[in-house]
Amino acid sequence: MNEMREQIRSYIVDNFLFGDDNGLDDSASFLESGMIDSTGILEVIGFLEENFSIKVKDDELIPENLDSIGNILGFLDRKLATA
Amino acid sequence: MSAQTSNNLIHHLLEESERLRPDNCAMVHGDTRVSYSELNRDANRIARFLHDRGVTPGDRVVLLLENCREYLASYYGCLKAGGVAVPLNPELKPDGLAWLLSSVEPRVVISSPKCERTLHALSLSRFSIGTLLLVRPGLNWRESPVSPLSFDEITFSGVNLPPPLALDEMSLASIIFTSGSTGRPKGVMLSHRNIVANTRSIVSYLELTSTDIQMVVLPFFYVMGKSLLNTHIAAGGTVIINNSFAYPATVVKQMVDEKVTGFSGVPSTYAYLLHRSPLRSVRDKLVSLRYCSQAGGHMSRHTKEELLKVLPEHTKLYVMYGATEAAARLTYVEPDRIHEKIESIGIPIPDVTMKVLDENGIELPSGQTGELVASGPNIMPGYWNDPDSTSKALSRNGYHTGDLGYQDKDGYFFVVGRKDSQLKVAGHRVNPQEIEDALIATELVIECAVLGLDDPLAGQRLVAVAVPTVEAVTERDILQRSSHSLPRHKLPTEILFIKTLPKNSSGKIDRGACRELFR
Repeated sequence: MNEMREQIRSYIVDNFLFGDDNGLDDSASFLESGMIDSTGILEVIGFLEENFSIKVKDDELIPENLDSIGNILGFLDRKLATA
Repeated sequence: MSAQTSNNLIHHLLEESERLRPDNCAMVHGDTRVSYSELNRDANRIARFLHDRGVTPGDRVVLLLENCREYLASYYGCLKAGGVAVPLNPELKPDGLAWLLSSVEPRVVISSPKCERTLHALSLSRFSIGTLLLVRPGLNWRESPVSPLSFDEITFSGVNLPPPLALDEMSLASIIFTSGSTGRPKGVMLSHRNIVANTRSIVSYLELTSTDIQMVVLPFFYVMGKSLLNTHIAAGGTVIINNSFAYPATVVKQMVDEKVTGFSGVPSTYAYLLHRSPLRSVRDKLVSLRYCSQAGGHMSRHTKEELLKVLPEHTKLYVMYGATEAAARLTYVEPDRIHEKIESIGIPIPDVTMKVLDENGIELPSGQTGELVASGPNIMPGYWNDPDSTSKALSRNGYHTGDLGYQDKDGYFFVVGRKDSQLKVAGHRVNPQEIEDALIATELVIECAVLGLDDPLAGQRLVAVAVPTVEAVTERDILQRSSHSLPRHKLPTEILFIKTLPKNSSGKIDRGACRELFR
């Protein structure tokens, strides 16, 4: 889990915060904080699908699954458990 | 007749709806529901506050707010105080924001938490901002030359009456910056008359009433979002604000739950609704959805046809065309004729005249291609502090759209391309829009941009940036399928696959950024 967290975190920091994590909180909303915009969310989905061999379904595109590092970890946990 | 009773100012639209239906819901955002009487009260308090802070007619008030309750109160409050509302993208970076603040010299800036950090990082003393109003301020401003005030304290109490002002309908109401593809953004000046005329015209052809409920996913700081707001407030209807279109499933679910009657988007909104949302599976639940409307640039025929298949049978599709310079809208396709005129941008909306002119300003007969030039009470008086651009865009014939097109025998207009984006490939004139449409029609591409790169042999060579529908798609698959509809010289020499196309904040494809991908 920790390794997964670090992998996601460094992807977000490298791609959206230009390497400066600035105390990024696992519970911070990507959209509300302005960290990631709507096209960025699709990039995040692409990253998750490629790196964790999952397929994000259309009805799973909800903030509860994807809008923070914590939400992504919970989502991956549920997805990988049923894979 | 006094200005107040003639209803010819933008905020009169709100005041009239409040008078007729004070308890109707004007806005929903998350768990927040605001009635017309509450919205008008908030706007009156902001107007009083601005007036007391010295705002006089013509003073600019910058709104750095995403779509939210505070935006509505600030926008109508600013207009009631005679101010000029300058809505800007709250996600602007410090350099871009500094340039815009220098250009408009606002007396007041109203900002949401999203932009507070950016404002804090600027040395505000150089902009002579008299008042900074912050929604839920969170930073320490003690060292700053400007002491911010709290938005909530202003709207929490105060006199529920607008300042007594006699404003003229020709007075400047708003400056909207367009995301130009090259150079600095241009500030489109719009008067009360421009916006009220266009609002009334749109309300009439969309047949909007006080029972309409619009799902708004487009930002109010651009003209299409602004038009959604003004038309629904004028009709006494409801706007549902949802700023999470990044998660389309959430938007679709709320459309069902709130019994939404109207949805509006730009081409990319519909591309993602079709390909990355559960729209198909919930179509039977969208019983109230009366219409969908599309503007903000050309949408491919394939996407329109797909949309018509996926939307419920009772849902009309309005394809529309406009420009910020026209306060939003110029033409629309009557929904009953959408199949017959699927490639058209439609007929002029009420009060607008559109002509096809040649380079000498002579009107061309139907079937001949020239520049689309529009006139009417909605056309801007000019660009902010930019007489050169103004004289290029406006002539005695009206507003020159920069779009090339023609009119058919039924009076329907068709756009064939931009005046400035025609490519020349090995001696052939090539219109990128035609190729983009063909690539999307292969059903292997969600959206794409076709560009011309300098080439020593051909003059320009065609390349494309494309978002594939599935990962396994190859360049060969696409070229093979599109070769059925495109001659060889119109096939891209290279297709670059990408997860999402670079876009500007209005959702339009950023062609400059696409070009950079080939460097």
